[in-house]
Amino acid sequence: MAYKDLREFLAKLEEQQQLVRVRDEVMPEPDLSAAGRAAPNIENGPAVFFEKIKGYHNPAVLNVHGSWANHALMLGMPKNTTIKEQFYELDKRWSKFPVKPRWVSCGPVKEIKIKENINLFEVLPLFRVNRYDGGFYISKALVISKDIDDYDNYRKQNVGTYRLQVKGKDLLGIQALPFHDIGIHLRKAEEINEPLPVAICIGNDPVLTFMASTPIEYDQSEYEFAGALREEPVELTKSETGNLDIPCAAEVVLEGYIIPRKRNVEGPFGEFPGSYSGARLQAEIKIHTITHRVNPIFENLYLGIPWTEIDYLMALNTSIPLYRQIKDSMPEVVAVNAMYTHGIGTIISTKSRFGGYGKAVAMRLLSTPHGMPYSKIVIVVDEYVDPFNLPQVMWALTTRVRPDKDVVLIPSAPGMPLDPTSEPPGMHTKLIIDATTPVAPDVICRETELLATPYKTDEWEKIIRRLLNEKGVSK
Amino acid sequence: MICPRCDSNTAEKIVDAPKDKSWEVYLCSTCGFSWRSTEDEAITDPARYDKKFKLEPAVLDSLLAIPPVPPLKESVKKD
Repeated sequence: MAYKDLREFLAKLEEQQQLVRVRDEVMPEPDLSAAGRAAPNIENGPAVFFEKIKGYHNPAVLNVHGSWANHALMLGMPKNTTIKEQFYELDKRWSKFPVKPRWVSCGPVKEIKIKENINLFEVLPLFRVNRYDGGFYISKALVISKDIDDYDNYRKQNVGTYRLQVKGKDLLGIQALPFHDIGIHLRKAEEINEPLPVAICIGNDPVLTFMASTPIEYDQSEYEFAGALREEPVELTKSETGNLDIPCAAEVVLEGYIIPRKRNVEGPFGEFPGSYSGARLQAEIKIHTITHRVNPIFENLYLGIPWTEIDYLMALNTSIPLYRQIKDSMPEVVAVNAMYTHGIGTIISTKSRFGGYGKAVAMRLLSTPHGMPYSKIVIVVDEYVDPFNLPQVMWALTTRVRPDKDVVLIPSAPGMPLDPTSEPPGMHTKLIIDATTPVAPDVICRETELLATPYKTDEWEKIIRRLLNEKGVSK
Repeated sequence: MICPRCDSNTAEKIVDAPKDKSWEVYLCSTCGFSWRSTEDEAITDPARYDKKFKLEPAVLDSLLAIPPVPPLKESVKKD
């Protein structure tokens, strides 16, 4: 099912009526961000491909991952696959990790090489994403960096998505938070006052982009995970400088280094919680080399008040690692929905082994590498409640929660600085709501008999979906 | 040129539209703000830029540094 590059995936989206082409010339502002906001407002919103952008040579595409239909197609599944089915398919493929990448000598990304007179505006149709952003942002690139203490270990190499503000023809600002893998790489480089080489890859196989925003462990390889999810090895080649591994079929690669021990004003930027981050002093990247394909496509991302493309891009890929990390020690856990703002809100369904187990599951989440800073509101429901079905979750909240016993606050805990409620930025209070049914030795509520789902309901769901499909209705 | 965000007289043109010079991009070396000449006046005109998003040059050095610059290792200090 693997797509060899972005172009092959765009062709698939177009064939499945999940991509629209804008052939008329558009203005960089406000047309691109407005379309990026509009597309996910539409049910099963399509990718939007801009062929002509005023003043620029190259095209751009937005909202490539921006619907559950596109997400399913990324996984090679029918576009009407449900979220829960996509969750379990991802979990199944996750078990195939690691699938080692294959290194090849060259790739399309080396078709054009620029080593002098770098001008990002020549190659990329840059645009303002949100109105009061501090500048033009590259918001959907793979940023690749290595651990200078173990430079040849490609598993400690990081492939992550970080916001990049264009601050000159060859200068970018980067947000590298301390708990991000690149934050660890940067700290090690700055402790010895060395520049940190980076490669910024734009326009990729959609699974690579998906993995770059997945919170996996420090020494796990995003490339090996992408191989598992796409069920074929990723093809890599070497960057021109810095000995970094880059996807050989990327559209554009910007090579440079993070300037050590220097911070400059960056931001604000309209961020994934749906609000602007403040302006901060952040690190900068000097770009010295660009390689790109002929007629490269600029793939970028609009993010705003959910749901926008980023919410699809960090939904199930946040859910799966959290699910597996918790389930490893608590096998009663059935599913984890960490879809809401990158897991700031997380819903877990679990069986309860003994009284208070739901709270213990929540605390386990809050001790995982990602859940520790990100997750603020944790709701735990019974095993038969579908955590992806919010009406069912609301049913559990209204019929299972004893507010005096099941609602817990944990003050002064690690937090996500971009969460506007964190105070100071980077700390917040955790909220646990245990909406599981009490079990012994807890005091059990009045005995109730649950209503059972009628026999053959699953079968009838499939029949009704098939009938809708036959009528051309995609549900 | 005056920066619409911080009102410093330190903004300069950094590029013309690569294809047809149909617009220019300006960048302020004081606060790092950049804008395109074709954006609306609420972005390009210092008098009309939203006050909530203005940045005083005097506060720039005191903004939160993320991540903070770590201490140099002892071995590097000795070099």
